[in-house]
Amino acid sequence: MVSRHESNTQRISALDERAETLRLKRGMGLADARAIHPDVDVVEADPNADRRLLDALADWCDRYTPLVAINGNDGLFLDITGCAHLFGGETKMIADLRRRLAEQGFDARAGLAATPGMAWAAARFGLRPVAAGAEAEALAGLPLAALRLEPATRMGLESVGLRTAGAIIDAPRAPLARRFGSGLILKLDQALGMAEETISPRLPVAPLSAERHLAEPVFLTEDIERLLAMLASSLKQDLERRGEGARRLQLALFRVDGAVTRIGIGTSRPMREPKPLCRLFHEKLAAMEDNIDAGFGFDLVRLAVLATARFEEEQGDLSGADADADEDIALFADRVRARLGNTAILQPEPVQSHVPERAVALRSFADARPASAGSALSELTLPERPIRLFGRPQPIEVTAEIPEGPPARFRWRRALYNVAGAEGPERIAPEWWLGEEGERTRDYYRVEDTEGRRYWLYREGFYGVAEEPPRWFVQGIFA
Amino acid sequence: MAQQAVAQERLCALRQDIARIEGRPAERLEQADADVTVLRRSGMATRSEDLIVTGVEAFDGVLGGGVPKGALSEIHGKQTRDAGAAAGFALALCALAMKREAPRSLLWVGTAEIFHEAGLPYAGGLEQAFGLSPDRLLFAAPPKPADALWIAEDATRLGALAAIIVELRGNSDRLDLTATRRLHHRAAVAGRPIFLLRQAAFCEPTAAPLRLVVSPAPATKRETLDGPLEGTIGNPVFSVSPDKNRTARQGQFLLEWNRHDIAFQQHQTAHPRRLVSLSRNGADLAPAPGAVVALDKAAQYAAAGGEPARKQHAAHLGARRTG
Repeated sequence: MVSRHESNTQRISALDERAETLRLKRGMGLADARAIHPDVDVVEADPNADRRLLDALADWCDRYTPLVAINGNDGLFLDITGCAHLFGGETKMIADLRRRLAEQGFDARAGLAATPGMAWAAARFGLRPVAAGAEAEALAGLPLAALRLEPATRMGLESVGLRTAGAIIDAPRAPLARRFGSGLILKLDQALGMAEETISPRLPVAPLSAERHLAEPVFLTEDIERLLAMLASSLKQDLERRGEGARRLQLALFRVDGAVTRIGIGTSRPMREPKPLCRLFHEKLAAMEDNIDAGFGFDLVRLAVLATARFEEEQGDLSGADADADEDIALFADRVRARLGNTAILQPEPVQSHVPERAVALRSFADARPASAGSALSELTLPERPIRLFGRPQPIEVTAEIPEGPPARFRWRRALYNVAGAEGPERIAPEWWLGEEGERTRDYYRVEDTEGRRYWLYREGFYGVAEEPPRWFVQGIFA
Repeated sequence: MAQQAVAQERLCALRQDIARIEGRPAERLEQADADVTVLRRSGMATRSEDLIVTGVEAFDGVLGGGVPKGALSEIHGKQTRDAGAAAGFALALCALAMKREAPRSLLWVGTAEIFHEAGLPYAGGLEQAFGLSPDRLLFAAPPKPADALWIAEDATRLGALAAIIVELRGNSDRLDLTATRRLHHRAAVAGRPIFLLRQAAFCEPTAAPLRLVVSPAPATKRETLDGPLEGTIGNPVFSVSPDKNRTARQGQFLLEWNRHDIAFQQHQTAHPRRLVSLSRNGADLAPAPGAVVALDKAAQYAAAGGEPARKQHAAHLGARRTG
């Protein structure tokens, strides 16, 4: 039995069959229940865990249709338009759904109808599948609760003696709308199929996907990869027909007991060939080996293309060398990214800024850039820049002439360095037009210590101007 | 006469065989051509196109013509703070290798640790100092050394890369003979250099045919019409000594990098720094790896040049009992 805290009392929010046989009911106070049966087991409700379970269930229902929406706290909508024939018809599909859920230990009710409202009622009041057009008949005998009404509206209707849905369907509409609001009419129309109701799916529908149901579950990574190759080659034809290539793909592995593992990869350029795609997934699977729990095996494998882009057919020259080079690098970068994450391969990109750490941005390889005609860096004749830059300037203690002399010695990472020669200062003012407060002017010095190591130091701020004394940092090292 | 020629030929063949067995391929054939021909392990003659010639004759001579192109080369920096010099030297070699070619990219793989400790590559400086434009640079920052080696191995096949730098810090179990042999083999097949940049690691046996220890050296002064200008920092200078080398010759060289010409030049030792030349034949043993932690008391005493401690007197000099 599960209890919930509700308007200052503990009430029963859910209970199992054995508790039901004891004549306990939902909504009953916990104190009353305990008074009748002192030895019932009570568990505190955990809405978050319930939600997670429903999410996981919705994930699993993905195997029937890509359009799965969560309804309230205890329901799922599955839009099976065009999907039923894959399972041998609607009745067989419902039977399959019921059987599989029962095997997982869920007590589920399913209803099937042409409108979401009717299906909702059918599931909750145990109707047989309702054909399109037969909604009014099916609803006629049901209580008002089947119409998904607000409790206040329902109470109002019941108080005037309208106790079944059938009574409302036949009643004149204008007075009803005037008295109980247009919400009532809308709900009625939605159930009857006279007003459109959309369900919003949890996940975006993939433009393309291919899947394979397995009679015998698979466990081994090698088997999954073999299936993957088959799915990828069937997707290739679809992609070719559309003249597109895949940019993002997702492999969904449906475990027998309901858990779904989703593995996504991205590609730097549109791709359709099965072989490189399989290599990317191979790297990803190798990296994820410990995180995938095959359990009792997977019985459905689906490969979906989440994003596509135009596939540029290029005619290579006869030697075929040049075109392949870029392609190779992109493939290599994709493999590395599949294995080590999106930021594993970086490419520098010049940015119009004179603050050194902003002047070069490190971008992930996948982010396509327009081909820059000549870099911005070479156009300016800047003073020398270091070859390595620290991610964050490192504070140092410095002995320097006041107010504007170069450092004479400094202490960095607990070691003392004597300066043999220094060049500078190069003054870099903060970019005030970007509106960042608190940045101070920097004076940069190139400094060489007595052993020949060359550093890029800077002083932030000036001596004797502000209350806060200037601070010194080392930002980079030279060759 | 004919007999003599046959004998010469046999001798040459035997020498080749010995070289192959010993895995010591750098044997020169005496030829009149200026183009030096060096025999490789496989017996194939290689020309100077397969070497990165630094242009400093003494240094190239010791290396047997230059730094091999299709090979794994180790470049050591003694401490993490020497990372600038070691990386600079490796980049200079890359720049030389890429100088006369169609534009290809450079891949720099470093663990997240070394990039944090010694700084990320800065494209602005790389372009100024080595002429490597940002669109031809690729960086990879994997979390672990094993991943770095995997990336480097995988990247060797790519025709679009001119060179690969793998930067690691300290000694890793992953970098054993097998791993380096794989890298070296792949580099040899692809004909592209892989530079294994190792910061703060002691030298250990690897399959790389060349190991250079690079340390920083004071830069030159900036040249003006008046001569060198005091208090300026001009071209960077690297102090390079081959630690392992096919010709088994040693030495210490000061190489100056000219960023305008993208070339090395012999450093004119104008400053009064004295350099002790290393023995030419490499007779002295390499120092044992590891750090000296502390000295025991007796050794300190002996080192001070004083009298040995009482315990250290020879036994026969001690007081003897008679009878």
